[in-house]
Amino acid sequence: MRMKKILFAAVSAGVMMLASPGFAATELTVQRFFGACDADFGTNTDVTKAVGECGIITSLINKFNADNPDVHVSVSTVEWPGYDQLTAQFASGDAPDIVTIHESALSDYQSKGLLMPLDDLLKSVGVTPEAFTDAARNGATKDGKIYGLPIDSWTMLYHINMDLFKQAGLVNADGTPMLPKSPEELLAQAEQFKQKTGKPYFVQNLANETALYTRNLYTYLFQQDSDFFADPKHVKLNTPEAKKVVEMYKAIFDKGYTTKDLDYGGAINAFLAGDGGVQLNGTWVVGDNNAQSQTKGTALNKGGYAVYPYPQLFGGAHAQYADGHTWAVSQKDRTPEQTAAIGKFLKFFADNDFEWSRTGHLPAYKAIITSDAFKALPHRNTIAAVADLGRPLPSAVQRQFAIQDIVGEEMSAAITGQKDVDAALADMESRVNELLANI
Amino acid sequence: MADRLTMPRTAMATVSVRAPSVDIYAPQWRNFVFVAPFLFFFTTLLIFPLLWGMWLSFHKADTFSSGDFVGLGNYVRLFHDKVFLQSVWNTFYFVLLTVPTLALIGLFLALCLNRRTRTAAVLRTLFFSSSVLSVTIVTLIWRIVFIPNVGLLSTIYGWFGATAPAFISDPSLAMIGIAIATVWWCIGLPMMLFLSALQQIPQDVYEAAALDNANRWQTLRSITLPSIKRTFILVIIIQIVLQFQLFGQAWLMTRGGPNNLTKPIVLYIYDTAFRRWDLGMGAAASEVLFILILIAAMAQYLVTRNKADQT
Repeated sequence: MRMKKILFAAVSAGVMMLASPGFAATELTVQRFFGACDADFGTNTDVTKAVGECGIITSLINKFNADNPDVHVSVSTVEWPGYDQLTAQFASGDAPDIVTIHESALSDYQSKGLLMPLDDLLKSVGVTPEAFTDAARNGATKDGKIYGLPIDSWTMLYHINMDLFKQAGLVNADGTPMLPKSPEELLAQAEQFKQKTGKPYFVQNLANETALYTRNLYTYLFQQDSDFFADPKHVKLNTPEAKKVVEMYKAIFDKGYTTKDLDYGGAINAFLAGDGGVQLNGTWVVGDNNAQSQTKGTALNKGGYAVYPYPQLFGGAHAQYADGHTWAVSQKDRTPEQTAAIGKFLKFFADNDFEWSRTGHLPAYKAIITSDAFKALPHRNTIAAVADLGRPLPSAVQRQFAIQDIVGEEMSAAITGQKDVDAALADMESRVNELLANI
Repeated sequence: MADRLTMPRTAMATVSVRAPSVDIYAPQWRNFVFVAPFLFFFTTLLIFPLLWGMWLSFHKADTFSSGDFVGLGNYVRLFHDKVFLQSVWNTFYFVLLTVPTLALIGLFLALCLNRRTRTAAVLRTLFFSSSVLSVTIVTLIWRIVFIPNVGLLSTIYGWFGATAPAFISDPSLAMIGIAIATVWWCIGLPMMLFLSALQQIPQDVYEAAALDNANRWQTLRSITLPSIKRTFILVIIIQIVLQFQLFGQAWLMTRGGPNNLTKPIVLYIYDTAFRRWDLGMGAAASEVLFILILIAAMAQYLVTRNKADQT
């Protein structure tokens, strides 16, 4: 009798063990940039309490895990932008399930068949591309299919220390900052700023930097109607329009209207410490800067913080360079449960895009960008315009991050005086074309 | 029956004739078994990738597919690429900055610390301790030193109202900054090699020199330095081969900038193969680096051998 009981217990345990995979949470691997902040937000599931890109995305994923006990998302955080690692992971067949990819980098992976088209999956969870903003939809669509769930549109902005602008006399009667309308006016205002405050007009991260230079160039080429990527396989950058932009930034550098030796972190700290008037940085720091401006004793709290799109300096299109972040899904064999779990994750992010837009990024959904809640967020009245101004490179242009490095290196060489402007532009053009010709 | 009769005789004969001794050094196929594990890993992890790299360098290949045979096409592109030529120069410049410095400072430290006192032992440990750090930690430390406005160097210069040199972003200083971090990181090995060489010099030679009233400089020049000549060459060879492979410090401190002035060949290879997905050209650059290191190592080896033969 006793033997029977033991046997029964053993069989029951065996059945339980066999059955348990049915109850186990479906594992998903997610890889993202946006930094690590586990010390502050590692266990936070109240997204409303989170601030900044890292805080909000960490809290969102925590909340997803808490709300969905049948799915477990394990996150690996990579250094921005993480594409070297991702490429190696794809090459070795070890790609994460879901990964952050810029719209500008989607075509690199999509063209190799490494990403899963999401149209059907998104439809199955009730997310339709019609809900996306035009910018987000265009950015995530390649060859007529959606290859990433857009979560935002971002661009570069003028982050302004209003205290220093007041000291410099660069404030309009209505209290808004006085922004330039031409390259000449920009240099004149920068000179005035330097004279009155003794500080540089711009806080830029120019030390071994490429992205900032490149985004500045693209923006002011758009504003001159320069169709430099008319052919996605051949760029035209050795042009009078490009020369104007490079010479403008060279004058800013030569006349000491900018910080010079700072890296990205150093530039953020310098701006927060009140070491200059305008920081050229992206939408992603609006939330952090605004939080600083509300903290007593900070440089931004003294006279306030304002943020605007890049000023229109040239007579062409009203435009500035923009891009967007997406969640892309790697192409691999999956069980229906795993695919359904991915659908849940994407739906969760589509539903919570308002929380993500608190970072300063523009929402990727029409319903959110037009919502009162979004409009009520600080500074959105001044930066909402970038939804219309934002313009990416043509989506057929591949290796946009590698191109960014080349353009940035050559611009940096010209602006800091290591190379003649014409020589730098010629090298920039030939190097990018050599890269594109050998894809 | 006949067999029974003959067998003892045969056995007797076998016992009486001494068996020939086995030459344990004679080539035997079964000996291969002992080296097979090594050969397996040597072939799969070294020879095969080496040959595959050569094969790739003659093809137009990206990270996800290998395409057409292009002959020397990748090499032609490589030698027309200003950035590659710059990276070759950068690598030589870096080797020139670091190797003599490492050898001389290593020797100096070894000479100073070659004594049996507790202080010398502590200092030896201290100087060697940086070598155990990973490149990430080393570059982090030196970034904290060099970073403008808030870095250690800026703070010290600030006390005197001066501006610190921009070791990370100044075109003429960036490579020197990387070299300083590298020397600090790598000084342990040369120092230890010199110390071990110094401790092998027989004491009686020094005693004889002392009896001949040789002063310290004469002793150093005529006894110590000639005695450690082979170690000196060894240190130079090891460091040339190591420093030719500069990557981590340049990537983490300057990203190869400003304007590619600190981009060494390995970083160029990484950039080309993994950031631009141009694996064929990256492989071609790797072959060039392989040949450069081979030439450097062979040249040093030949110089050493000839000099050693003459003495």
